[in-house]
Amino acid sequence: MSKERYQLHPIAAVVNFIKGLKDLIFPFIIIFVANGFQGGSASPGHWTSYIPYIIGTVILAFVLISGIIKWKRFVYWFNEDELCIEYGLFVKKKRYIPFERIQSLNYTEGLLHRPFKLVKITIETAGSGASTEAEAELIAITRDAAKQIETEIASAQKRKSLKTSDIAAIDEHTVEEQIKSIPIFRMTMKDLLILATTSGGIGVVLSGLVVFLTQFSELIPYEQIYDEVVVFLKFGFFLVVITIFAFVLVGWIISVILTTLNYYQFTIVQEEDQIVLTRGLLEKKKVTIPISRVQGIRIIESPFRQMFGYCTVIVESAGGSMEDQDKKIRLFPLIKKKKIKEPLNKLFSDFDFEPKWTTAPKNAKPFYYRLDFLWVIPVMVGVSYFYYPYGLLSMLLIPIILLLGLWQHGAAGLALTRNQLSIRYRGINKYTFFIEKKRMQSLEMKQSPFQKRKALASIETTIKSGILGATVKVEHLKEEDIEAVMTWYEPIKITTEKGHPE
Amino acid sequence: MRKEPINQISPKGLKVWRLYGVMQSAIVLLLMIVAGVLSWWLEGPWWIVIILILFQLLYTYLFVYLFPKLRWLRWRYEVREQEIELQHGIFIVKRTLVPMVRVQHVDTQQGPILRKYDLASITISTAATNHTIPALITGEADELRSRISTLARVAEDDV
Repeated sequence: MSKERYQLHPIAAVVNFIKGLKDLIFPFIIIFVANGFQGGSASPGHWTSYIPYIIGTVILAFVLISGIIKWKRFVYWFNEDELCIEYGLFVKKKRYIPFERIQSLNYTEGLLHRPFKLVKITIETAGSGASTEAEAELIAITRDAAKQIETEIASAQKRKSLKTSDIAAIDEHTVEEQIKSIPIFRMTMKDLLILATTSGGIGVVLSGLVVFLTQFSELIPYEQIYDEVVVFLKFGFFLVVITIFAFVLVGWIISVILTTLNYYQFTIVQEEDQIVLTRGLLEKKKVTIPISRVQGIRIIESPFRQMFGYCTVIVESAGGSMEDQDKKIRLFPLIKKKKIKEPLNKLFSDFDFEPKWTTAPKNAKPFYYRLDFLWVIPVMVGVSYFYYPYGLLSMLLIPIILLLGLWQHGAAGLALTRNQLSIRYRGINKYTFFIEKKRMQSLEMKQSPFQKRKALASIETTIKSGILGATVKVEHLKEEDIEAVMTWYEPIKITTEKGHPE
Repeated sequence: MRKEPINQISPKGLKVWRLYGVMQSAIVLLLMIVAGVLSWWLEGPWWIVIILILFQLLYTYLFVYLFPKLRWLRWRYEVREQEIELQHGIFIVKRTLVPMVRVQHVDTQQGPILRKYDLASITISTAATNHTIPALITGEADELRSRISTLARVAEDDV
């Protein structure tokens, strides 16, 4: 039993320091901008004019020292079957994490970690959602130390299974030899480019550029430019097009760079019963998802990507902490819809990814656009009246809503297999959910009087996602189909034949 | 057609909802009076006052009489060995199924008004959702709570 206490690598102090600085950037900017205005009135050379610098230095020193202290005081060690962490200067905090509760170790390699061969480890526990602080972070440790933690966990788990039964011990023996990792998916550079081009990010970048320009509009001598613009316009349409093109090009390049930073060398590997995801250029990330924690699988097709036959696959996983946004893990950020089946089946053999869909009946069509007209028609009438004649263009909304409604009608559907409910619907993007029966927390059938008259109904189910729930809903299907789902979901009374757990 | 769940909630629940409705419409009445006085003071047209009165009457009718009644008539629940089924909704009928295996805990709550009428509400929580049965006689609610929690403990996963 190693009772030896380990420290983090000194780089952790630097990482702490930089993180502290990051948090301070915003207040700093405010202080300095505010001081910039005052600076004009105070006489130069007077001692008060140095105050901001003094404050700045003090804060910097404080952040630096606290970073170092945080590193100094942070120790971890292994007990018999738990990982212990101790930190804090005045208030000492200790945290004991039993090995068996550890779900996964996630690795991040930042820019600072790389040259020293270090990693940041986030320990995910199977917190049932009650405690938001159920996980721990080791900011910087060497890869060897990380390995050590891994082996400690593995051996602890082995010890436990040894205790429970002898059969397991034999299994352990064969498993021990080598953890097999099966490559499932990797993204090529071409995929990356398509991902960047079709992502909403490009729009964000473009609007960012526009905002940026408008922010500096005060600095731009408009009148002067205006004259130039007139000349510019005389040069013709051609130049305008080129400028727009240049804008889009810059937006695209930025989008490509951002995507590359995030998704460079995106690979999915299956190791035993875990999915291991690695990605990133400057900051390498490695995330492990225990397959048993996957609550549902979601396929998203945005209209643009659907045109080219691409889609995104996301897994909803349970547990984790509040602040972790990564719970909806993009399993395949971009993949051809046709090729989806093979890798998914490898990972999730229990799922049926090509079920027989029951779609919405014909008489449900009006339900998909009827309600929209309630708000569209008044808006249209208003706009047409006040902005006659151009307002009449708002009439175009009618075919758009009609078409979208019909499109949604075409997408809506559900499928039942023995242990799985599949739901498909469209907002603007098309979503396809695959959920195992045992993951559904509840099921709700909804019916308005209008639906009742046409024998239609809607259904929604909630699964766990992160520490909260995610609701999946499909509307206006046949009442009998929906009721079939309700009956399917009702637990069957199990009599003693299934008996005791082995 | 699926069978409706068998149990209705306590008739006293209807009374409590009516009471809530009265409180709400009292607040609306206050606002209406303020608006009416303002309109009179600013010499607004007379029909504004008529509209205000009509609105107040309609609001009171809906929230004191109609909605509580519909809501109460609709509310059904049934706790079976393997699942809980709820039905509610004024306009859109919602029917919810919660398997016992998914139930994580059950709470009963009681505010001052509910207490006065000897009522309590039960909240059933799963890992991701909460479901509330609004107004049950306190004794009944306690009994139901302990029943659900025993059933939930017994329930076995069938997959």
